[in-house]
Amino acid sequence: MSKLKGRAWVFGDDVDTDLIYHNKYLAETDPKAMPQYAFEYYPGMEAFAKTVKPGDFVVAGKNFGCGSSREHAVYCLQYAGIPCILAETCSRIYYRNAINNGYPVLFVKGLSEAIRTNKISNGDILEVDLAAGEITNLSNGMKFSGDGVGELENDIMKAGGLFPYLKAKAAKNAE
Amino acid sequence: MGKTAIVKIMERAARKPVEVGQRVWCHIDLASARDFGGANCVLQFEQEMGKDAKVWDPEKVAFTFDLQAPSHSEKVSNNQKIIREFAKRQGIRHVFDVNHGIGQHVMLEAGLIKPGDVVLGTDSHMNLLGAVGAFATGVGNSDVAAAYINGINWFRVPETMKINVTGKFAKGVCMRDLLTYIVGDLGAGGMDFLAVEFTGETIDRATLAERITLCSMVTEMSGKVPIIMPNGQVLDWLVERAGREVIDRVNTLSADPNAEYCKVLNYDVTDLVPMASCPDSPDNVRPVHEIAGTVVDQVHIGSCSNGRFEDIKAAYEVLMAGGGKVNPNVRTIITPSTVETQLECARAGMIEKFLEAGIIFTNPTCALCTAEHYGALPSGDIGCSTTNRNFIGKVGKGSHTYLMSPMTAMATAVRGCITDPRDILL
Repeated sequence: MSKLKGRAWVFGDDVDTDLIYHNKYLAETDPKAMPQYAFEYYPGMEAFAKTVKPGDFVVAGKNFGCGSSREHAVYCLQYAGIPCILAETCSRIYYRNAINNGYPVLFVKGLSEAIRTNKISNGDILEVDLAAGEITNLSNGMKFSGDGVGELENDIMKAGGLFPYLKAKAAKNAE
Repeated sequence: MGKTAIVKIMERAARKPVEVGQRVWCHIDLASARDFGGANCVLQFEQEMGKDAKVWDPEKVAFTFDLQAPSHSEKVSNNQKIIREFAKRQGIRHVFDVNHGIGQHVMLEAGLIKPGDVVLGTDSHMNLLGAVGAFATGVGNSDVAAAYINGINWFRVPETMKINVTGKFAKGVCMRDLLTYIVGDLGAGGMDFLAVEFTGETIDRATLAERITLCSMVTEMSGKVPIIMPNGQVLDWLVERAGREVIDRVNTLSADPNAEYCKVLNYDVTDLVPMASCPDSPDNVRPVHEIAGTVVDQVHIGSCSNGRFEDIKAAYEVLMAGGGKVNPNVRTIITPSTVETQLECARAGMIEKFLEAGIIFTNPTCALCTAEHYGALPSGDIGCSTTNRNFIGKVGKGSHTYLMSPMTAMATAVRGCITDPRDILL
């Protein structure tokens, strides 16, 4: 995979799913309609949905996506064209929901501290090599490294998500 | 070394020996979804597998309607209809429509949950079913809908933390206070990806309602699943509902005495005082007496954490001790978790007293956990609630919520400001 380049939208630790995608819009069933509500309730990020561009990155500290099980909180970023989630850690349900949709998550060491100390700030341009797990902040030259997901998760991701994975598995078993 | 309960449960579900850290495919005992997420499951399953595709086992699929019961928006009404029609086409019997209550509680009362069961649900508080030893986990729509294909899903075998609880609660202090204390102690990420076994004399004596309260908030520490194997009256209650197989499950799936835990924590509740989660996160915890006097606009007692009969009864006792009226400046709402709970409250004569006190006593639903529920807070209002989350703007943009026990919530409703229930009870 080639290197990705884009703007950073930076968030703190313990960003809960209500801040990513508020419970007010839970009745939505069309993933493509979900980006318009992304981060509406995150103080200071109200403009996110209107100004985010495909290729931008969401950067967060520890325990990103804690709280609800709503998959809307993954779809609203995935369908906004954000190529991957960069976080020090993700909450477990959020992590599953991302993997199950073939949506890359990179666990980046020291990201929480880097955000607190402004080593990554809103609007910085990042270069991300997903395969190598390397991130360079082109705005200040700082480098970060991330851990990829486990083997099974990687297989599910590569298949494009849980449905394509299970369908391929069923087809293989039928051979 | 021996095995923890979760390892035994996952070996049963994977039908092979498992090790901590391993990814395994588990057989699902029950794939449930709510009127939130449920329609997404149905639409996704049919889009991926075709309109004629069948779920693997209609007896192992359930739907519960609790987000909006009854629905008050066309969108949710439509989602509920999508679910009803799917269930009909698929021959799914376990549909708990808008006249039942909160999903996990309703399925538990209906005898659908046994110790060791692997239960999926589109509710992050599914894991409160760990209160009867089930491995129940909140998941998104993909996990549930994909499980419909052939009844399996993937899991990482988690490490297990053990929390040992001793001592007796003082008057005015309850399991919710312990839980709030633990959330404050461990923080929002304190149980990240872990299974948690609760043990000790305090747990052995605990009622089902108390166990549910304790297990419901493991989510707020990012835990995967809490486990309390049923004993005593809880075991009897469950056998009556779910059959004698429950006893075999408890015997075969309980942790070995020499099981290996990644961490063991001890809490003694003897000197515990009423606790509250302050705005705007569950782990922002302080003793109630430190925030006493804070004027509040609304009190809501209910939710999957504290909406059972014992919870409402504890609130009732504080109300009666406090003169039987709530402060006219505080909108006070009680929402029982299920119709069974609602009936118990009715039979105990409590509902009449609540209504005379100036309280709104509602039908069973998910209580004030979303801004789309009745009782949503306007900007600037302060709410007190026995629900499990007080994230920024969760029940109304610009509002703030304190989380607390049913006793503290009712003491607050009576006095009109945050009040330590011991001030009324003692």
